[in-house]
Amino acid sequence: MNKDLGINALDTLTNLGVDANAYTTNTYTTYLYQATDNFYEALDEFMDYVQNPYYTEENINKERGIIEQEISMYDDDPGQALYMNLLRLLYHNNPINIDIAGTKESISKIDEKVLYQIYNNFYVPENMVIVACGDFEPQELLENIKKRITLNPSNNKITRVYDEEPDTIVDKKALRTMEVSIPIFMIGYKDKIPTGNMVKKYLALDILGEIIMGKSSKLFKRLYDEKLITTSLSFDYEYARTFSHFIIQGASEEPDKVIEEIKNEIEFFKARGISDEDFERTKKKLYGEYVKDFNDPDIIASGVLADYFNDINTFSFFEEFDCIRKEDVMAVLKEVFDENKKAVSIVKGNDIEEE
Amino acid sequence: MIDKKIELKPGIKLNLIKTDIFKTNLISIIITTPLKKKNVTKNALIPFLLKRGSKNFPTNEDISKRLEELYGTSLNCGIDKVGDNQIIKFVAESIDNNYTLNGEDIIKDVLDLLIDVTFNPYMENGKFKESALETEKEHLRTLIDSKINNKDFYAYNKCLENMFEFNGYGLYRYGYIEDLEKITIEDISEYYFELIKTSKIDIYVSGNFENNHIEEILMKNEVLKKLEPRDPEYNVAVPSTENVKKVENPKEIQERMDINQGKLVIGYNVFDNQPNSRNIGIVFNSIFGDGASSMLFQNVREKSGLAYTVRSGFIKPKNVIIVNSGIEIENYEKALEIIKEQLENIKKGKFSDKDIENAKTYIISGIKNIESEQDTEVVFYMGQELSGNYFSVQDYIKNINSVKKEEIVEFAKSLQINTIYFLTGLENN
Repeated sequence: MNKDLGINALDTLTNLGVDANAYTTNTYTTYLYQATDNFYEALDEFMDYVQNPYYTEENINKERGIIEQEISMYDDDPGQALYMNLLRLLYHNNPINIDIAGTKESISKIDEKVLYQIYNNFYVPENMVIVACGDFEPQELLENIKKRITLNPSNNKITRVYDEEPDTIVDKKALRTMEVSIPIFMIGYKDKIPTGNMVKKYLALDILGEIIMGKSSKLFKRLYDEKLITTSLSFDYEYARTFSHFIIQGASEEPDKVIEEIKNEIEFFKARGISDEDFERTKKKLYGEYVKDFNDPDIIASGVLADYFNDINTFSFFEEFDCIRKEDVMAVLKEVFDENKKAVSIVKGNDIEEE
Repeated sequence: MIDKKIELKPGIKLNLIKTDIFKTNLISIIITTPLKKKNVTKNALIPFLLKRGSKNFPTNEDISKRLEELYGTSLNCGIDKVGDNQIIKFVAESIDNNYTLNGEDIIKDVLDLLIDVTFNPYMENGKFKESALETEKEHLRTLIDSKINNKDFYAYNKCLENMFEFNGYGLYRYGYIEDLEKITIEDISEYYFELIKTSKIDIYVSGNFENNHIEEILMKNEVLKKLEPRDPEYNVAVPSTENVKKVENPKEIQERMDINQGKLVIGYNVFDNQPNSRNIGIVFNSIFGDGASSMLFQNVREKSGLAYTVRSGFIKPKNVIIVNSGIEIENYEKALEIIKEQLENIKKGKFSDKDIENAKTYIISGIKNIESEQDTEVVFYMGQELSGNYFSVQDYIKNINSVKKEEIVEFAKSLQINTIYFLTGLENN
């Protein structure tokens, strides 16, 4: 909402032929737009609405109704339930175990006062970053952005206080029944609070994931031939300043069996190591995929933004790519995949009896 | 823009899209065949079988390793519907030769691999492997069953199936379990040979290359050489109002599931015959329900807070508008009423010139984006190929700009509800 005109900023941007959106992750909120024409006109509106909030009881009530529907939508989403259950198994106190959208109960308490308080605390220039990607003159764009910054630097320093998070996990397993056609599962390994060279660690885990359970792996072939899985396993290493974990996800009629097989395969690689051939081929694959990511301005901008909040230079990937060695990868394998810090979340269909 | 179009053989076309704004090359091989209940499941099964191995890369694992060596080239198979056609798509995306670490010419290797996988499968005694069929049937079964995991998609499909009475466009693109079970190794092997012998084949290569280089690779490819000329059967995907019956009383269908949020989907037939109807429909749809300033979004979501998602889509080759929304279950009547009311308002001309301008700006910005995504551009030209109606991006923009208010009103007046589908919660909830 724009304070002066009382019309919706989203409408104004849409009417300029611009795709505008906003989203919130566990660690930051992003406002974004994409334009083919009217870039600077859109920048006016974009920077104006982010810097001039307008909260009233009326517009909060309306928005609350919409968010309640959004929460309902996620409540019916088996993938979301699977993921949240896993985070609740891994983390005692870290707020990552709270749904980003909140609950119907928690949003019922939000009023103008709360929103202005949050806004005034966090929406300050020191806590903001702008990423732009496209075919423009950098210096000209920079001047144009500076001209439009109206927020004043804040006197308060933001201090983030979190309850201490133990190294241990909360529990080993969670099971939920929902409307799904085939059971889905997620395995999580809780890792340390990030320190050191995270780009290298991320790359090492990407290489490991591909070699152990990727599409050309022995494990994938075995599970596929035995019809234990029908689609490939996916994996990701997620981290921010206060948490890090490696997640493996898949679907299977017999999730417990697959989870056991994955565990055995990881132990196998810990004992036997990885081959030079697999290592080199996988590196080539990841290099190509990384280059591909630079096709799309949207992916470039959101990637640079996420990296910024993790104190990473996006292009350092290529430096790490050149110097990562097999030994580095093996060290990460032994460090991260700790059975004592592993939890498993499963969502099954309603008609399936619990064992 | 298509730089060059070459007929490799009757029924087999090559389209070269030259562009230097990407770091990748995109190659699509598209097989088009009429949508028929008896074939829909077989067509869906074919790509799964082909991905199991080719003559030169006999196993799944061999193909995957080859793709990794080719700098993580991706190979995706897709099944789509365009009008009353089912299309089987094989798409490879690889980095451009300029970005390889040692200057390798990988586009040749990628083309050869993709052609090998599509037209030169691994077979024993002229048949696919029995064990592969067994596994891939299971694979497809899981995919068909997984419809229910995404409730929006499930409800949308249910509405279409009922609207077209399980024929043509109403068929589910991945087919049906009862037909899947009956498929034998003989059936599917024979069917595959017939498919590649008689179907329309279109190859698109998009990226930064010399045309001659691609032509030469394809001319020399032994597998392509063996494909016979053909006079393919397919349905020209042009909207028609001729064979569509007006429905006196809309079909109302309710289904129950253990869910919190209801899904309301409304299917409308369009009976408009104005000359520029396709483009009028696009502008109408944008004002009605596509995007954040549309009437549906503004009134169903923003003003009354009834839904988180609400939008309308225009299925051009079938002349159909579909509205879908996720709503609180008890708000069914209210949401239905507000949706109907928005259409009535358009019919009465209750929208401004500014609304039309905004819609056009939004649509045109989308059109300008077509050439900035390789896959989008291929889909755009393939749509034209199947409708036989060729136009440039510039003409497209001109035709959108020419749409007038009275034409939109006229278009809106021709809409008739065919089916109202509602996915709702269990009775005791």
